[in-house]
Amino acid sequence: MTAVSMTVNGKAVTADVDSRTLLVQFLRENLRLTGTHVGCDTSQCGACVVHVDGKARKSCTMFAWQAEGANVTTIEGVANGATLHPMQEAFREHHGLQCGYCTPGMIMAAIDMVHRLGHELDDKTIRQELDGNLCRCTGYHNIVKAIAAGARAMK
Amino acid sequence: MSASGIGAKVRRKEDHRFLTGKGQYTDDISRPGETRAYFLRSPHAHARIKKIDVKTAERMPGVVAVLTGEQLAGDKIGHLICGWMIHSKDGSPMKMAPHPAIAAGKVCYVGDPVALIVAETLAQAKDAAEKVAIDYETLPAIADPAKAKAGPQIHEIAPKNTIYEWHLGDPQNVAAAFAAAKHVTKIDIVNNRLVPNAMEPRVAIGEYDTGNDSFTLWNTSQNPHVARLVISAFVGMAPEHKLRVIAPDVGGGFGSKIFIYPEEVACLWASKRTGRPVKWTSDRSEAFLADAHGRDHVTHAEMAFGADGKILALRAKTIANLGAYMSTFSSSVPTYLYATLLSGQYAIPHIYCEVDAVYTNTVPVDAYRGAGRPEATFVVERLVEIGAREMAMDPAELRRRNFVRTFPHQTPVIMNYDTGDYNASLKKAMEIADVKGFGKRKRDAARDGKLRGIGYSTYIEACGIAPSQAVGSLGAGVGLWEFRRSARQPDWQCGGAHRLPRARAGARDDLRASGLRPARHSDREYLDRAWRHRQGAVRHGHLRFALRRGRHFRDRESARQDRDQGKEGRSAHAGSLRTRH
Repeated sequence: MTAVSMTVNGKAVTADVDSRTLLVQFLRENLRLTGTHVGCDTSQCGACVVHVDGKARKSCTMFAWQAEGANVTTIEGVANGATLHPMQEAFREHHGLQCGYCTPGMIMAAIDMVHRLGHELDDKTIRQELDGNLCRCTGYHNIVKAIAAGARAMK
Repeated sequence: MSASGIGAKVRRKEDHRFLTGKGQYTDDISRPGETRAYFLRSPHAHARIKKIDVKTAERMPGVVAVLTGEQLAGDKIGHLICGWMIHSKDGSPMKMAPHPAIAAGKVCYVGDPVALIVAETLAQAKDAAEKVAIDYETLPAIADPAKAKAGPQIHEIAPKNTIYEWHLGDPQNVAAAFAAAKHVTKIDIVNNRLVPNAMEPRVAIGEYDTGNDSFTLWNTSQNPHVARLVISAFVGMAPEHKLRVIAPDVGGGFGSKIFIYPEEVACLWASKRTGRPVKWTSDRSEAFLADAHGRDHVTHAEMAFGADGKILALRAKTIANLGAYMSTFSSSVPTYLYATLLSGQYAIPHIYCEVDAVYTNTVPVDAYRGAGRPEATFVVERLVEIGAREMAMDPAELRRRNFVRTFPHQTPVIMNYDTGDYNASLKKAMEIADVKGFGKRKRDAARDGKLRGIGYSTYIEACGIAPSQAVGSLGAGVGLWEFRRSARQPDWQCGGAHRLPRARAGARDDLRASGLRPARHSDREYLDRAWRHRQGAVRHGHLRFALRRGRHFRDRESARQDRDQGKEGRSAHAGSLRTRH
């Protein structure tokens, strides 16, 4: 067992976990933050994307202990109380989701995209940046529209 | 676009929870005292199980139970079934082989479950699975459907691996039409097998309540009602009132979550044996072996044309690969859902289709996205497109010449088309695609060293396995209704926004006035499947009916109020619409 402690959505958490516990397992099973999903076992789908110290990370591809002392934000920590984050609002407005399973990862990746690349994102950039996030329902069209609009709304 | 009703922009009601991480998918559920399940699966396509030794595995840390197919059979747990009877040309029923939830005696495909390991954690279950010793005697296997009849026999019940040899249409009339043809186009096509891969892997949680001797199954399901029916009435887990099936949010299905799967049965059974909830979550690699696949047709087809390019007849012979066992609805896909759409959008006087369904040592095949209907479209459209090129005709013009233009139109393959304007759709599509400008685009592309082509395809689909008259005439042994009162929970979704079509169809007041209402799950009425737009096929009929009825009541009420006002000078019952249930 390994002791891990980190800050998740602004709250300090600490636990003893099996050292092979992945960060996503720690979030979902120990902390019951089930908004972060697992869609593959090959680091391809991006449903598990969270922010670790402000950067998008696939939480299925790192151990919980690798986030020791880090500041982790999950989809549950994005909205400001009852007010949706502009990126969440943009996904809603532009129908950027269908079954909702990939959505948390999409939103976390999109916010990170804005942090890195700014508020004016063209379609080509967005599509290129989304190569680590798979959606099976929408065909990406409205996701791309939502991210462009969300990026502007985050100004 | 109107501000309300059909065509209005409506925000989905379920989005808020998905956007905030508050959706509840099956894997998000954790039951008190739950154990984790891991299925050890066959590495062989076809093999006899000579011996399974679980003693070492049972002693591994955290292991609660290691269960096998022999124990499953010993507990008298029944087989999975295919629920749709198809009869062969000779009248004999389809050859449905026994399908145990955990293989006993032999395995029939790579991925066939051979043991279920239940442990405190998934990692412990996986570790223990490595200690299960299985002595296999491998057998010759067959994977190619075109060669299945000559392959090693997989199930005792099915000589030549043949499940049924079905047909639809009149072969004599078709033969006569071909004899008179000016041109005949012949094709051999493969509609390849595919793996559905919804983003959310499948999950099953079985829980047995010793107090009430009852079961609960949480599963990633597009049709919990049928799961309950099959697992109680056919598998025999418990009487229907002692089995509750709960399908929470579903992260995409594409058909693959319609069926009743071995893991669901095994987890329920294991929960009774262990006295603890048993949860299985598929991983992505496992999904390739454990989820029913789609399509897998091999077809020879011919189309007869007259001098003017008019289609005189079509004949098709299809071999449909159903895999190692018959999945829940597998038999209906290459028959009722396929051959009945072989007329496409065209007026074809004569059609004859033969379908041989075969077993192979591959993952079972069942309905996937359109299920049979895209396969039919592929056959028809390739014939028309290749026919046009062979006859040096414009493919669009050949289609135009053969479109159904008068309605209702009775096809020779059961379906009666009530309405349509296929030429208008084609015209619009050609405008949008700028077909006129294609020549220039092609030349420009050629200058850049690129090849550019253009092709056409039309599509027609019979949704919701309706209408019931059609399936009735095919001899379906199940009840299907034109209108029904049952639906999902108002908030339930399986990846297709059930609330949205309803909200969009709108006209709530008229619906309310009709006295009809969307039913809740708790009404315990039966709905066979959640098929999104296919629910729409049923529900929109329901809505049309409801709206007419609502208008009738509203008109009657306002006429009455007018009368009352005329008599008394004012309405005594303003706003009170009478409803009838």
